[in-house]
Amino acid sequence: MAPVGPGAIVVVGAGLAAASAVGELRRREFDGRIVLIGEEPLPPYERPPLSKEYLRGERDLGSVLVRPASWYGEQGVETRFGTRAVALDVRSREVVLADGERVEFDRALVATGARNRRLPIPGLDLDGVLDLRTAPDADRIREAAGRGSRACVVGMGFIGAEVAASLRTMGLDVAALDVFGVPLERALGPEVGRAIDSLHREHGVELHMGSPVAAIEGTGGRARAVTNERGDRVACDFVVVGLGVRPNVEPVEGSGIEVDDGILVDAHLETTAPGVFAAGDVARHRHPLFGPVRVEHYDNAIRMGVAAAAGILGEREPFADPHWFWSDQYEANLQVVGVASEWDRLVIRGSVEERSFVAFSLSAGRLVMAAGVNRGRDVRRAKKLIGREADAEALADEGTDLRELAGV
Amino acid sequence: MTEFRTVGSAGDHPEGGLRAYEVDGEPVAVARTEAGWFAFHDTCTHNACSLADGDLEDGTVVCVCHGGTYDLRTGEVLAGPPPEPVRTYPVRVEGDEIQVGTEGSP
Ligand SMILES: Cc1cc2nc3c(=O)[nH]c(=O)nc-3n(C[C@H](O)[C@H](O)[C@H](O)COP(=O)(O)OP(=O)(O)OC[C@H]3O[C@@H](n4cnc5c(N)ncnc54)[C@H](O)[C@@H]3O)c2cc1C
Repeated sequence: MAPVGPGAIVVVGAGLAAASAVGELRRREFDGRIVLIGEEPLPPYERPPLSKEYLRGERDLGSVLVRPASWYGEQGVETRFGTRAVALDVRSREVVLADGERVEFDRALVATGARNRRLPIPGLDLDGVLDLRTAPDADRIREAAGRGSRACVVGMGFIGAEVAASLRTMGLDVAALDVFGVPLERALGPEVGRAIDSLHREHGVELHMGSPVAAIEGTGGRARAVTNERGDRVACDFVVVGLGVRPNVEPVEGSGIEVDDGILVDAHLETTAPGVFAAGDVARHRHPLFGPVRVEHYDNAIRMGVAAAAGILGEREPFADPHWFWSDQYEANLQVVGVASEWDRLVIRGSVEERSFVAFSLSAGRLVMAAGVNRGRDVRRAKKLIGREADAEALADEGTDLRELAGV
Repeated sequence: MTEFRTVGSAGDHPEGGLRAYEVDGEPVAVARTEAGWFAFHDTCTHNACSLADGDLEDGTVVCVCHGGTYDLRTGEVLAGPPPEPVRTYPVRVEGDEIQVGTEGSP
């Protein structure tokens, strides 16, 4: 009998989306060659704990691995950890590694994730200026927290806000600066942001909001303070910068594969080169509901990995997940479903003051996003409502079971 | 040997729902679904959230905190961040009594 399914599958990037795809390939009983190439020396691990339990020393590295390190060998997955892929040759169908080795593929998945954005802020190169994407980054922040007593956090997006919360929980003094008026404003808007603002203030974070960071000042090559354009000068022992990420598109540059703030993929996660797929933080996906979006979240990386594996094996199911994610800060659990940068109506269910609410974003009468604080159940139930016409009164009414609105 | 302990009244248990009970001092969540009754430890192995606060979806229980998804029958992790399966318990309904089986100490 002729072999069924594709030949060798090469996965570039060994993070969450990659691990999830490889697991799904084997679960679907693909028994051909799989090569997993990752720049980091570690097997795929989960990043969410890096700003939370792992940073605070409550969980160790072994417990954040996606799968036990032995799994890959047991499953006959060839791994090249600690190896950077530099190019993808679509014509010869080879991935080129940093040492010049070429690995042939029949189908490829690019899941290289994202890296931290570096803005042209004077002083960013000083000692004691840290950022967070990898486990060693988290180790450096933990070490700095052990030596210092006061931290500056630059950028109160998800990573900055979580690091601020963890450092406060570890007993440090924390000051945070951001150009937006309230934390998470860019992602979730000012209303939800205000609830997060009061959360951090109540926990003693000194917030300097609404003015862009001007510079990081240092003495003897070490960071000592952060200033903003309004003239605030905030002294600290070390600085953690969280100013967003950029997709790691380098391996496909020059390959002819289309790139635009991420690797462009169609509804099935295939790039403009047939047989080459992309998933996770690096992929900009033509979403059936939201249009082209690139999201940087855990659940999406897993689901896209699974969907890309299915696509690689020839399935043609469009990826239409409504996108769900969470963030933990102190005792608050924030969850969001949907994707929206603007909306014309915001409906609140619950109490913002008591930090138990969902903010539903409506656009032209449809639900485009639901962001909840300590309302995981409501947010998960709202998943099925995303993209649908919304009954604002019913959403706001605590008496309505959101499952009934979804007709399930 | 499995010993069954009565934990509550089936009539009071929400239809198609989840509720936490106590068995030998341990919190145990009981699920009543169209496919029958299921019982499992009420603590998500990820961040210790109560699974009884979660939702039942197609033969699984989904943790309210981070979406950890367990197979109701086996306790196996089907999705999300939990590092380990959740312990399951035998459960039966005798008359109106929900009874959960324990082995004594786990
Ligand atoms: C500190 C932190 C906290 C987070 N918390 C949450 C949270 O609470 N909730 C949530 O939903 N999401 C969270 N996220 C986001 C989530 O972790 C990411 O969305 C997810 O990791 C994306 O998976 P990925 O596989 O696309 O990329 P990654 O996990 O980043 O993996 C990509 C891998 O590819 C490697 N790579 C890159 N270029 C190359 C190359 N040229 N050759 C070989 N390898 C390469 C990288 O080194 C990396 O190991 C958090 C992220 C961080 C950093």
